[in-house]
Amino acid sequence: MTRIITRKDGSVWVERFTPIRRVEHILVLVTFVVLIVTGLPQKFEGPNANGILAALGGLDKTRWVHRAAGIVFSVHASVHIGVFVAGLLRGKMRWSLLPTVQDLRDALGNLRYYLGLQKVAPELPKFDYRQKFEYLGMVLGGLVMVVTGLILLYPEALAAWIPGALIPAAFVAHSNEAMLALLVLIVWHVYGSHLSPEVFPMDTSVFTGFLRKDELRERHTKEFRRLFPQEPVHPSAATPSEEVPTERAN
Amino acid sequence: MNSPLCTIPRTIALCVAAGLLWSSAATAGDIEDSNSACLDCHDGEESAIHFADGATLTVGISADAWKKSGHAAEVRCKDCHAAIKDYPHPAVNFPTKRAYQLDRAQSCKRCHYAYHTKAQDSIHAKELAKGNQKAPTCTDCHGMHNEADKADRQAVTLRCGSCHAKISAQYAQSVHGEGWGKASANVPMCVDCHGAHAILDPRKAAFHTRSWDICSKCHADAEKMAGTGLSTQVVETYLDDFHGRSNERYAQGAGTPGKPIATCSDCHGVHDIRSFRAAKKNGTLQSEVIVACRKCHKDAPPAFADAWLSHEPPTLATAPLVVLIQWGYRVLIPLIMAGLVLHILLHLWRARVHR
Repeated sequence: MTRIITRKDGSVWVERFTPIRRVEHILVLVTFVVLIVTGLPQKFEGPNANGILAALGGLDKTRWVHRAAGIVFSVHASVHIGVFVAGLLRGKMRWSLLPTVQDLRDALGNLRYYLGLQKVAPELPKFDYRQKFEYLGMVLGGLVMVVTGLILLYPEALAAWIPGALIPAAFVAHSNEAMLALLVLIVWHVYGSHLSPEVFPMDTSVFTGFLRKDELRERHTKEFRRLFPQEPVHPSAATPSEEVPTERAN
Repeated sequence: MNSPLCTIPRTIALCVAAGLLWSSAATAGDIEDSNSACLDCHDGEESAIHFADGATLTVGISADAWKKSGHAAEVRCKDCHAAIKDYPHPAVNFPTKRAYQLDRAQSCKRCHYAYHTKAQDSIHAKELAKGNQKAPTCTDCHGMHNEADKADRQAVTLRCGSCHAKISAQYAQSVHGEGWGKASANVPMCVDCHGAHAILDPRKAAFHTRSWDICSKCHADAEKMAGTGLSTQVVETYLDDFHGRSNERYAQGAGTPGKPIATCSDCHGVHDIRSFRAAKKNGTLQSEVIVACRKCHKDAPPAFADAWLSHEPPTLATAPLVVLIQWGYRVLIPLIMAGLVLHILLHLWRARVHR
């Protein structure tokens, strides 16, 4: 059940991330930053890389931290995927973060809207195609990192089971996939959650857990319709002034 | 505020000083005169100094050899034999011949101070300081009374072998030692890897971590490798690999390795250095490489050796997976990023134009 709360100032907020998801986000944020900071100076050389390595106490310590963070990330990723798959199988979870054919339609529709070929923007679900792309990239890219990282961590033991040629391949894939992840984060996540005019300076919902009702209506109209089937999606048509909902919704 | 008048006394003083210096400066003729007085007796002289331990040292030298030496024109006998002022000479009071020789070699630093300081860092100087009198000093490599401007490389190498006999024999059997006696100046000898004066302790971790850089002096140099049929990419392919990348970072100051990480000598050998070319031709590469791997990776299965790309930049034929992944990302990354940036720009444009 989606929780809906009314704050003291009268504003209505819709739950977007349960506490466990918020903790997961912080965990990913921390492990990602640690992995990038300890990984980059292993990939690139130069005065900056050497400065970071020296600050972290040398290459050995940097690698230790990188591996520890990698193991934390891997365990998290496995649990996350495991719980999700189990939830789906038992019918307890919605398909809300995985792509559907509708997402493809939304993406094309949105592009047509951006180009002025379509008057109205498509109504987007709880998680729109841009967010699903990021989530899916995170999970699939994360899996690549986990598998290749594991090969690089235990090449001796794994060579008994896998061809040796996979080891240098894992080396190349690990470092390239990390670059892709970092670039997507810098461009897509920073834009989508910070710089985009819709959320600037920051979409706080992943930390607070809640999105204001009018923001939900504007940006995730389809989800708004699902939660508030009785209410109009265009507030200007109903009340000319900025609507401040006062009722406690269910 | 210097008036021209003030500078006159100064100029005079400088001229006087310069004159005094000139008159005291030795000329080549003076040196020859001084030395010939010594050589009158010492040329070919057979009498000897007797040391407390019973050893003897002949006092005679060859005047011909001396005159051909690098020192003849510039150095007086007494510059090194400073204790000897006139005749009869003071008695030589050293317990052993070696102690006397080591003491004489202390004269070198009066002129060759830079080399002396360098040599102070060497393992040989440290051994001497510990009291190991067998460790070499200047004259053991450069000679006495017959020093050449530059020590003869082959002679020095043989000199190293006179103490390091086992290593010398290994070297002679190695791919490096094979070139001995052939005219090529590129045959590596002891000093090329160990240095001449600042010979570091090769058993120290710091030496091991940086030793690939020693090999790179020749093996990454196209000119020196010309005609040998050897690849000059061996060093960069090593540095691209996990081992090389690690050791390069350590060499750049990223701490010291907790356990040694393989460098050239760990697979190819040190003095018994060998090539894997024959193994490559015979198809026994994997079985020979895994032996090297197992020096550190004790339980590595045979397939582990296939992780090594054999010093060759990966190609579709040698390492298809590596090349395909590399190219996959080379296409995928720009494509994805271009798409995302385009989407962002369109979004901004829409937000601005259709506000």
